[in-house]
Amino acid sequence: MLEIANNRFPRTPYYLMGIGVVLLLVGSYYGLFVAPPERYMGEVQRIMYVHVPTAWNALLAITFAFVCAIAFLMRSDFKWDARMEAAIEVGVLLAFLLCVQGAIWAKPTWGVWWDWDPRLTTTAVLLFAFLGILALRRFVDDPVKRGIWSAVATIIAYVDVPIVYFSVRWWNSLHQLQSSPDTVSSQFHLPLRVNAFGVLFLMTGFIMLRARLASLRHVSEVAPPPMLAEEAGEMA
Amino acid sequence: MTGVVSGGWGFVWAAYAITGGALLIYGVMLITRLRDEWSRAAGEGSGQ
Repeated sequence: MLEIANNRFPRTPYYLMGIGVVLLLVGSYYGLFVAPPERYMGEVQRIMYVHVPTAWNALLAITFAFVCAIAFLMRSDFKWDARMEAAIEVGVLLAFLLCVQGAIWAKPTWGVWWDWDPRLTTTAVLLFAFLGILALRRFVDDPVKRGIWSAVATIIAYVDVPIVYFSVRWWNSLHQLQSSPDTVSSQFHLPLRVNAFGVLFLMTGFIMLRARLASLRHVSEVAPPPMLAEEAGEMA
Repeated sequence: MTGVVSGGWGFVWAAYAITGGALLIYGVMLITRLRDEWSRAAGEGSGQ
């Protein structure tokens, strides 16, 4: 923890974020101006190049939070708690963007901004469940209780992730099936993949920086006040 | 009614602008929060 805290301005997250931004610019340019429009959805389909990478990475961030929650409960090391908090926050941001992009895409294709369709509903449940975990962390002062409670809540809330993923197969849904090389024309692969890696790099940089912030806050939380530390030094 | 969506660039730009804007704002806020926390930690460390 202290090792993390002492390295003030680590360069790796900034490099990752820089690579992510460049990839997103290239992928978005290709998706907006080079790739052909889809036969039925026309130009609106170009939202896919940002919507699908956001979806993949939102689920990836939440999955990383789930792994961190298990690691924290098994090892009681607060670096996993910091990583879990970071991954949840970034996952919530991406899940929120996912819902907004989906609503914008739904209006011209389905005729409505929102529908209580299984995919949309389970994604909204995911967003609010993890938003709730972030709120829980705000209200608990004891770092140990906060870590344990939020790790347990993360493991429980993670049950929704496979439901989100498979919802389009399990139930009748307005939403199309999962996007994969089999379900997407080859002309659309390049911008989709470039943007997917762009969001992945950006997300990784965000999580690393946010975890560092959480670690710093944890260090200041558990550190004794300066006066007490001085007295302890004198007594020793 | 042809079953084909025509136009729609406004929706496309809206989706990209909101996504780009949100990611940019979050990134800037994250860096600012981290620098503030460092300054605070450094201040506490020097007994200020």
